[in-house]
Amino acid sequence: MLKERYVLTQSQKMMVFILSMCLYGLSNMFTELVPSVNIGPIELQIDCFAFIPLALCMLFHPLYAAIGASTGELIFGELMLGQFGGIDELEKFILFSLGMCIGGMIIRNAQSRSQVAMGAIAGYGIFLVLSTIVDIVKVVIGVEDFEAVPGLAESIYVVEGVEFLTDLIFSGTLFALLPTLYLVPRLYGKIEPLLGMKPRSNKANYQINEIITPKFVLMSLVLSVIAFLATTLAELDIEIGVWEPEFVDTYGTQVIWIVIGVAALCSIAIIAYLLKKGKDSSKEDMSNIV
Amino acid sequence: METSKLLNEKFSLEYVKGELVRTAYSTEVNLLTKLDPRVLLIWYSYFAIVPWFIHSHVVLIGYLLFMIFLTYKAKVSPLILVVLGLGLLTEMGIIFLISLLFGGNFETVLPMFWLSIKLGGISLASVAVFTSLNPEKFSDALLRMGFPSAFSFSVAYGYRILPTLLEEFQQIILSYRLRGQAPSKNGIFYWRKLAYYLIVFIRSFYPLILNTAKRSRTTVEALETKGFSYAAKDSEMIKLKTGYLKLTYIDYSFMMISVLYLIIVHALHFVL
Amino acid sequence: MSKPLIEIQNVTFQYPGSDVRVLNGANLIVEEGEFLAIIGGNGSGKSTICKLMNGLIPHFYVGEFEGEVISNGHITTTHDVATLSKSIGYVYQDFENQLLRPTVLDDASFVPLNYGLSDFKERGKWALQVTGLTHLANEFVWQLSGGQKHLLALAGAIAMRPKVLIVDEPVAQLDPQHAKRIYDVLRTLNEEYGMTIIVIEHHTEFIAEYCKSVALMDQGKVLWKKDVREALCSVEDLISRQIFPPQVTMAAHYLNRDTAYPITIEEAVAYFQLNLPAHTFLPESVKTENSAVLAVKNATVSYKTLQKQMKKALNNVSATFHKGDQIALVGNNGAGKSSLLKLLTGIVRPTEGSIELFGKTLKKISPEILSNDVAFVFQNAEEMFIDDSVRKEIEFYLKARKVENATALVDQILEDFDLTSLQHQDARLLSGGQQRRVSLAIGAAMRPSVVILDEPTANLDIATKNKVVLMLQRLKKHVDTIIVATHDMQLVAEWANRILVMHQGELIADDTSEVIFNQQEILNCAGLVPPQIVTLCHELNLPHCATIEVFLDCWRQVEQRGVLVGN
Repeated sequence: MLKERYVLTQSQKMMVFILSMCLYGLSNMFTELVPSVNIGPIELQIDCFAFIPLALCMLFHPLYAAIGASTGELIFGELMLGQFGGIDELEKFILFSLGMCIGGMIIRNAQSRSQVAMGAIAGYGIFLVLSTIVDIVKVVIGVEDFEAVPGLAESIYVVEGVEFLTDLIFSGTLFALLPTLYLVPRLYGKIEPLLGMKPRSNKANYQINEIITPKFVLMSLVLSVIAFLATTLAELDIEIGVWEPEFVDTYGTQVIWIVIGVAALCSIAIIAYLLKKGKDSSKEDMSNIV
Repeated sequence: METSKLLNEKFSLEYVKGELVRTAYSTEVNLLTKLDPRVLLIWYSYFAIVPWFIHSHVVLIGYLLFMIFLTYKAKVSPLILVVLGLGLLTEMGIIFLISLLFGGNFETVLPMFWLSIKLGGISLASVAVFTSLNPEKFSDALLRMGFPSAFSFSVAYGYRILPTLLEEFQQIILSYRLRGQAPSKNGIFYWRKLAYYLIVFIRSFYPLILNTAKRSRTTVEALETKGFSYAAKDSEMIKLKTGYLKLTYIDYSFMMISVLYLIIVHALHFVL
Repeated sequence: MSKPLIEIQNVTFQYPGSDVRVLNGANLIVEEGEFLAIIGGNGSGKSTICKLMNGLIPHFYVGEFEGEVISNGHITTTHDVATLSKSIGYVYQDFENQLLRPTVLDDASFVPLNYGLSDFKERGKWALQVTGLTHLANEFVWQLSGGQKHLLALAGAIAMRPKVLIVDEPVAQLDPQHAKRIYDVLRTLNEEYGMTIIVIEHHTEFIAEYCKSVALMDQGKVLWKKDVREALCSVEDLISRQIFPPQVTMAAHYLNRDTAYPITIEEAVAYFQLNLPAHTFLPESVKTENSAVLAVKNATVSYKTLQKQMKKALNNVSATFHKGDQIALVGNNGAGKSSLLKLLTGIVRPTEGSIELFGKTLKKISPEILSNDVAFVFQNAEEMFIDDSVRKEIEFYLKARKVENATALVDQILEDFDLTSLQHQDARLLSGGQQRRVSLAIGAAMRPSVVILDEPTANLDIATKNKVVLMLQRLKKHVDTIIVATHDMQLVAEWANRILVMHQGELIADDTSEVIFNQQEILNCAGLVPPQIVTLCHELNLPHCATIEVFLDCWRQVEQRGVLVGN
């Protein structure tokens, strides 16, 4: 018998995406607001309610649920609260989607508790491992002569390691494992009809190459290359933006001062122009109102 | 008793909801809001990435000063700044303390200090840019720069649906409160109460997930009838929608000043 | 000459996973310029047939589809929803989920923008102007009231100036004034802009006043399509399918069975004209002898708006609720009804004033404390469902308190509310009427002294609505006092023995429906429209009659007396 493939229409994908976005986004707003409890270096905080995307990834198409959740975090938790952290968020977006997606993908039968538990731990665990690695790499890049500083490397490893463990044990159990176990079997078979689709049965299977599309592969490749380049750049001690032009030696520092002077003058000129223009336009505004 | 009252006041959903809505929907005009979002994004990507690879102290301080100035101009809420500052300081402190165990000394702090300066500059750049970037404009800029239209739609939809979601969530929590029974004892550190509310919070996602599922279906159905998939095929629509994004003299001036400032800072590296 | 705009030929449709054919050989032709009402009982396929017209079926709802639909010259199976929707606007029953953009103008111009029309802003503005929302163009959608949101959903649907506009249950959630406003807009669109309007509607009074033709559906078929007068006078046809013609039509039908019945109140006044001498009946006022259960004293509730201004939702309200009271709380949207309900359930605390329970002033007010004596049944029943079966929903409160004999009690309540056979189903998957029953049962299981219901008849068809009255009577067995906030004046007239009228945060009247329905000033002020039969009695100078049956008795008596007097 041919395996029935788990296919969603375009609009069903959109539904899963919106559902995941709304729910995880909402929960994220609360986690952003709840303060964390520090016990020494160990920080007990509600990092994220990973159970929401995990449960949805297990019930529906993992890719759309995962990306929806990350988008939800981006929009509700960051943009709307005015806390968008820029590049950092992008990194979390990718890692989180990846973790959740894998967590959902390894599930074959959403009614088997052991599989759900495995998926939850794996999904959240992968996300944590990846983000710990990235965090360490960031310090390695960011600090000049990282290895040469006494005790720094070790302490970073300890801090990140402890954070990883507390997150895995505390958040992992309370906010990933247990709630997912509670939710998935209850929702299975009940939520799908609400979206007008059939439940993901253990027979129906989506093919891996449907999720791992060329686009997906390309994107991960590009990202890995960027990450690799960034790391090597740091290793090579190349300082972007700081170059040693030869004319410093030739002409001495005066040239530099002249450059600075000219640049400063130009800036002042532009600012003066802006101020004048600003006054004019505000006058115009006033006259418009009057 | 006082703390529990405070906790109740602060953590009443009504309060949280009010705060959220106020933060999300208040728009204040400042220096940066007048800029084209695309310019801001390009500007930001420079200041978010490049500092990682700069180790010159002069340049880093220069960047930080620039960001402090812009943060001031962008009228960023002091609360965010305090949280940011505290985060950087405690991180530095903890790493210093632990590094002592591994034979570290004050020399260990120094690179961490410069890392904090670097991170501070980068974070302030984010804060300044994204507090002044109206998300609607932000998503339009992304749309114009070729991001999928589903993302741009989601941003706007987030703004639309948040109050509804909060309202519904509040009602469900209320159902639990009205029909459930909170523990009569607080326990040490209020752990009984906290645990109770945490469980209610998590459990309330069960009904919420189901209700939201129903809603997403209608939403997508409505999207169909509103011709959204028609628009997704059409690049004309993007031009129409984002037609208001135009570069003005302010954008050019801002870019020029930034470039000039960069020249000054990097030049200073050689003479100081 | 009018030509067919929509042709539905012999369509059969079955939702996936269901073994019932929602449509079973349906045929319907809609001509250009029509104002058509589609009526039918629950599950007769009304919404489904409308979703054929813009291709949602079979494109969006993938199921077993047979037959042919030609919509504005396009065969729907070969064109996608987006293309078909260019000339068909659709307003959903749960219109809130149809509003997808943050601000009003944005939402109104969303459709033309999607179709790439460069004048999308102008179209949006035009739509807002037609619906009378121009002054709100820059507001956030969530700041609008329910009625305004519905108008906005309408604006969004007409911005393309479609040939056909489909509106699913326009007045189900609105107060009478807003409902009238919606229909006025629809009439303008139909008469001035030549749009073909199709509404799914239960309220035959609105059909009589606004629509031109009516199609009756039953079991997936269109039984007939008739001119509005002829349709509404087919009383037998309608009633056997649980559709109730206007009250005046029914009254006339019960009196003498010909077919030329009145369908509007004006016609009815002429039809029933008795030439009675003007006579004022002294309406009976409320008499209160029973003990007080719950009371608010001089309560004021203020809240902070987004602009950080303080606004009063309730202003110095005092009221006492006694044992045996069946209270209806009425008033327009935004009059302060829900604030009063929230106050009574402890969800909001009074800024000034106090709450008394059994004559004792409450020192601390919280929902947890009040929930032991006051049960609150939400307007949206789904928001009360927190567990996964009907039985668990009902026993949640009892289990949390470890009440003894909970099982027997729950069994009894399930029995009383006809839920025994549904007890293991998930409440969310039930029909609207069943959900309402579950929500009432949940309230009853809290064994309160007072039950407060917010809009118990909203979104229900008339047949189910009538059952709610029965349910309220059963509920009475379990509690002392019932308070109902509602727009449904028929419910008020038939059930309540006391009415509180709210207006702009103040309590402007507190009396029997008889008294209040006779005070034109209060009715105008609070935007109340009494049931047709009450108005008819008033116009005919008959004594107050709350229901058709009472009216019939009364009219027969008066007629006989009139005959006897030889008038």
